[in-house]
Formats: sequence, C-alpha cells, structure tokens
Amino acid sequence: MRFIVLFLCLLSGYANAHQFTPTYPKLTVSHIAGVYKTEMLLFNAREEIRYYSLNVFDEEWNPIKFATESKLIAMDYQERKYVNIYISKTDVKKAKYICSKSKILQSVKDPSIVASRICSKIE
Amino acid sequence: MKKLLFLIPALAVTTAVQASIPINGFIESKCVIQSDTAGMFGNPTVDKLSTKAADGGVMPIIRYDIVTASKYKAVITTPTSFSNSPNLSDSLDWTSTTVAGQMSDAAMSIFNTDKAIYNNGHTTEFDLVKSGSVWFNVTSEVEYGVGKALPSGSYTALIVAECIAK
Repeated sequence: MRFIVLFLCLLSGYANAHQFTPTYPKLTVSHIAGVYKTEMLLFNAREEIRYYSLNVFDEEWNPIKFATESKLIAMDYQERKYVNIYISKTDVKKAKYICSKSKILQSVKDPSIVASRICSKIE
Repeated sequence: MKKLLFLIPALAVTTAVQASIPINGFIESKCVIQSDTAGMFGNPTVDKLSTKAADGGVMPIIRYDIVTASKYKAVITTPTSFSNSPNLSDSLDWTSTTVAGQMSDAAMSIFNTDKAIYNNGHTTEFDLVKSGSVWFNVTSEVEYGVGKALPSGSYTALIVAECIAK
C-alpha cells in the first residue's frame, strides 16, 4: 500500500519541486591535471524560481573553493540541467557536500516564501 | 538444395522477430522538496502577524518526497527577520513550530518523535528514516515591540527547507 501511495505521488509529477542528484556523487579525475570533477543534475519544477546557486562545503560546513560553468544557474520552469563541479586536488579530501539552493528574486512578494536547498554528500 | 535456400532466410527472419528489447530502469535515492502551500500572514492584533488559521493566516506547507529511507535529513528553518517590510524601529519577537502533518505512511510519525530543535526553536531537523511523502506544517508568529502597531505595508519572510544527504 505504502509503495502504491509513493508511486502515485511520484507519478503525479512535481508541480513545485526542486531536485538535485545524485545523492552520493563521486569525484573523478578531470581532463585538467590536478583537478577532480563530478556531474550533478539539477531539476527545477518550481514555477516561481528562476535561479539556483551552487556551493561546496567541508564536513563543518565551511565553504570550499570550486569551479563550475556558473555558480548561479538560470533555470526555466521544468528544466533539467547537468552541471560539472570542478574541485582542486588539494581540496578533494576536504570537500564533503555539494549543495544547490533556490534564489528568490526581490520582486517575489509572497508573504511566506520557501527557499529550498538540497545537499549531496561526496563519497 | 532449393529447400535449404528458403530455410536459411526464414530462420534469419524468425531470429530477428524474437530479438528482445530490454527496458532498463534505475531508481536512485533522492529527496525532492516542494513548496506545497504558500503561507500568508494574518494580522489578529495590531502588533502581531501569524500564519495560524486561528489568527487569519495560512500555514505554509512543504512537501518532501523521499525515495530511499535513511539517506537524507530534512532541516527546516523558520524566519527570524523579514526579507521585505516597511521600516521597523522596534524589536521583533519570532516564534515558530514545524511538524510533520500529512504523511503517506503512518510509520513516518517517528519524524515528529525523533525531531531535533535548535537555533532558539527556529530550526527543526527530521531524520528521514522512512520513504514516502511527508508534508511539514510550519507556523510562524511575530510580535512587534510591546503592543506596538506594525506599520502598514507588505511583509515577506523566508522559510529555508533543506534536504541534506547523510
């Protein structure tokens, strides 16, 4: 029964959702010497959200330096985007979480808005 | 000989017809955050804004879909300031609660029993040990000064809903 409910929930689509996968990304050697990379998939089904920010943190939630095409990603409604995250070899052991966070425009005037943040844990 | 010439292409056709085409699927663990109901502040008294229905507000509801159990924790932080408001000269006193309300599996009630509250009651952490869908109800109240009237204008406050891989 539980699985039927879950399946129906998943099947019903995400009218207003934020997804960031995989849950446990792996860093692999990139084409640049001394730089590791991983690929993340971001999905925006939040109609009121147009931008997501990316961040990398260590175990204590201190920011870690990283590179990507853009740290602020413009996303259309129901758009999926693959993003590459590059981390220097010196920071690979420290890097623990890769997070995406919805950015809310100042023009959004809902009295109570929800900012969503999803963090994947580096294996 | 002629029979053989017919038989070989016929076998080849049969093989082609029976070729199986696999459909592969993979369910990966993931956490999906959905803003289910946008909240609205009610203004029950001149010095107070509240999302409680009893105060004329609308409670914000955030839905989490958990595909695999015990892979994530949910962290919900309620507002401690306005992101947009008229000029306020006095102090604001914020109180809030976050509870798991509707759930696809009754066993998810463990989320409420095992939740951790910190940051002066503004952050609630739930260990997502069961898979399924859960709707978190958030109430947020703010009082201005000591019985001081809140200035007229629009007010916006931000809730942060997080899903953090364990």
